Amino acid sequence: MPDLLQVTGVSKQYVSVKAVDNLSFSVKQGEIFALLGPNGAGKSSLVRMLVGFTYPDSGTIAVNIDGQAYQSIPHQSLGYLPEDRGLYAEKTVQQNLLYFAKLRGVEKNAALAQIESWLTQFDLSDRANERLKSLSKGNQQKVQLISAVLHKPKVVLLDEPFSGLDPINQEKVVVFLEALKAQGMTVILSAHQMAMVEKLADRMLLMNHGQAVLYGTLAEIKQDVGVGIDITVSFSEATNYAALNLGNYKVACTQLSQSKIKFELSDSSELNLLLADLSKSTTLQGIETKTMDLHQLYLKAIESHQGKVQSQENAHVS
Amino acid sequence: MSHKLQQILQVTKWEFMYFFKLKQELIGKAIMLAIGLLIYFWQSTSFFEPEQYVIATPSAMNLTQLPEPLLLKRVDASKAELLTQLEQEEIDGILILQAQAGEALQFELITTGKMSWQNEVEVALTQFYSNELAQSFNLSAAQLALLQQPVSVSNQYTKDAVKETHNQSSMTAFGVMLLMLIGIFTSFGQIFVSITGEKQQRVTEQLYSCMSAQTWIDGKIFGQMLHCLKAMLSTLFSFLLAMAFIQVVVKNEALDFTMIDFAMLPWFTLFAIVGLYMATAFMAAIAAAIDDPNHSGKTGFMMIPILPIVIAFMIVDSPSSLAVDILSLFPLTAFVVMPVKMALIEVPIWQVLCALVSALLGCYLIRVAAGRLFKAGMVMYGKEPSIKDMVRWVCKPE
Repeated sequence: MPDLLQVTGVSKQYVSVKAVDNLSFSVKQGEIFALLGPNGAGKSSLVRMLVGFTYPDSGTIAVNIDGQAYQSIPHQSLGYLPEDRGLYAEKTVQQNLLYFAKLRGVEKNAALAQIESWLTQFDLSDRANERLKSLSKGNQQKVQLISAVLHKPKVVLLDEPFSGLDPINQEKVVVFLEALKAQGMTVILSAHQMAMVEKLADRMLLMNHGQAVLYGTLAEIKQDVGVGIDITVSFSEATNYAALNLGNYKVACTQLSQSKIKFELSDSSELNLLLADLSKSTTLQGIETKTMDLHQLYLKAIESHQGKVQSQENAHVS
Repeated sequence: MSHKLQQILQVTKWEFMYFFKLKQELIGKAIMLAIGLLIYFWQSTSFFEPEQYVIATPSAMNLTQLPEPLLLKRVDASKAELLTQLEQEEIDGILILQAQAGEALQFELITTGKMSWQNEVEVALTQFYSNELAQSFNLSAAQLALLQQPVSVSNQYTKDAVKETHNQSSMTAFGVMLLMLIGIFTSFGQIFVSITGEKQQRVTEQLYSCMSAQTWIDGKIFGQMLHCLKAMLSTLFSFLLAMAFIQVVVKNEALDFTMIDFAMLPWFTLFAIVGLYMATAFMAAIAAAIDDPNHSGKTGFMMIPILPIVIAFMIVDSPSSLAVDILSLFPLTAFVVMPVKMALIEVPIWQVLCALVSALLGCYLIRVAAGRLFKAGMVMYGKEPSIKDMVRWVCKPE
């Protein structure tokens, strides 16, 4: 798939805070791309540059849509759910949606048909003529999501689409995003719900302090991080991990009980060797393995990056 | 129609309809219509079937008749008997001469309550008294007419062709200025609520993703201008109705709108529309920089568009001064100073056209500045920009 978006060496500073620091990545056409990072990592600053609200201090943003080049995602091709979001509370659901559809050039009858279809999908069709303020926060968020896609944009940029939704509605949003992808739209989203991102995203960018920490598919990221594996081994008799000869392995051990030890292997490829060594000296009764999920990856990567930033700052001060 | 123009029209319609309450408007217009119909029927009834008021007098005086619809009826009856007739509504009033011979004439007019025709009786009696006096001094009718003629002073000016005071033009110009003030105050309240409301409801970024800041503010300005014009027209019609009510119902006179200078009105209206645009654009820009409407120190700045109107009221006494010449051509004041100048002195057409072009240039500059302020201000939450920030946004947009 060709690149729809190419960000190269982009930096953005607000007074004394460097919100985005020499960031580079690309988004392919038709994929679901996730922006991850803790609060204050620079995701929203990046999003604001992508939609053209602000401009980079340095670096370039190149958007390619239907062979046309742009410096930010053009209005007519963009569906946007901002982090700071809201609609007109005093107006009805339908009035709000129709207004945004018309602003994006959708003809009235086509817009009404689209509105009806999306509201039905989100179980809101019977509330079309109610004032927005009478809806729950979650339902208001669903209306806002609908308003972002009524004009069938080429790129959908969603800042925290899962926040404020219960698990059932989060699943509905997952289905919604998959439907957008199936229609050929490119979806860029930022989120903290790692399980959702793991399920949805084709590729992802993990940011911290405005910098790229991890970037690629989940498999690529796992490879980059050198993802380890956790194994809990039950022995047939009392066994102390200190008595085991594990000097050749990068492993952290935790004695869970007299006959149960947890091994945290840094390199998952060493698993078979370790088990073979253990079975030579003891009798293994049971083995439980657990690989690192995106949530743990995220925590590990951020912790590691935080340490690097801290040591750089200390070096700078001294 | 281009997509941008369509967006401006959509925002204009949304902005107008957001504050347009159909039910309230219908009630208001129904009341005005009822008053209008009342005036129409009152006038029809009064002119085609005039009511007659009978004033009885037992006095021995030469006054033989009163103007229509009053009828003076000389009767041979005592005051007590006449009072009885008045109570029984057989007559509408009693006129009694109280003092005469060497003294000023004194009459007593007795009615059941305050009547609209009392003034007419007084005017007729004053006329009668003047004639009586003229006869006693052996004055002819022509001499009496001369005596009653007021002194006339004709002012001549060597520099400008100054129009007479309280002429139609000045009445119309000041009327339009007052209406503009009403329009600006309407816009002030609504644009403040609209923009700070959109910021508080966090709808701004969503809108920015649909269109440019300039398109958005253009639509908002036009929407609010429509409200200003609606408020001005409603006020104008209310005023005209009130005037008609006083003329027709209270005074029993014919409708008279000759105080309006219909020849100048199109010019004044054109300048007023340009002025409203400037004022609304300026207020929108300031409102965009307000974060918390309850604690902002910038609300006062929104009243700056009133200043040119205040200046215009101040220059009424010196329409030929150098200051007026400059202000009438200055982009930010031309929209109001030039109409006032036109109302007071004859102004060459080229100056009027220059003022109009200058005002349009002012509109353009304020529009661009407002667009830049609006863009930066509307996505700024939790913090209010300083005046320095605002100047920077206008001069060096990101």
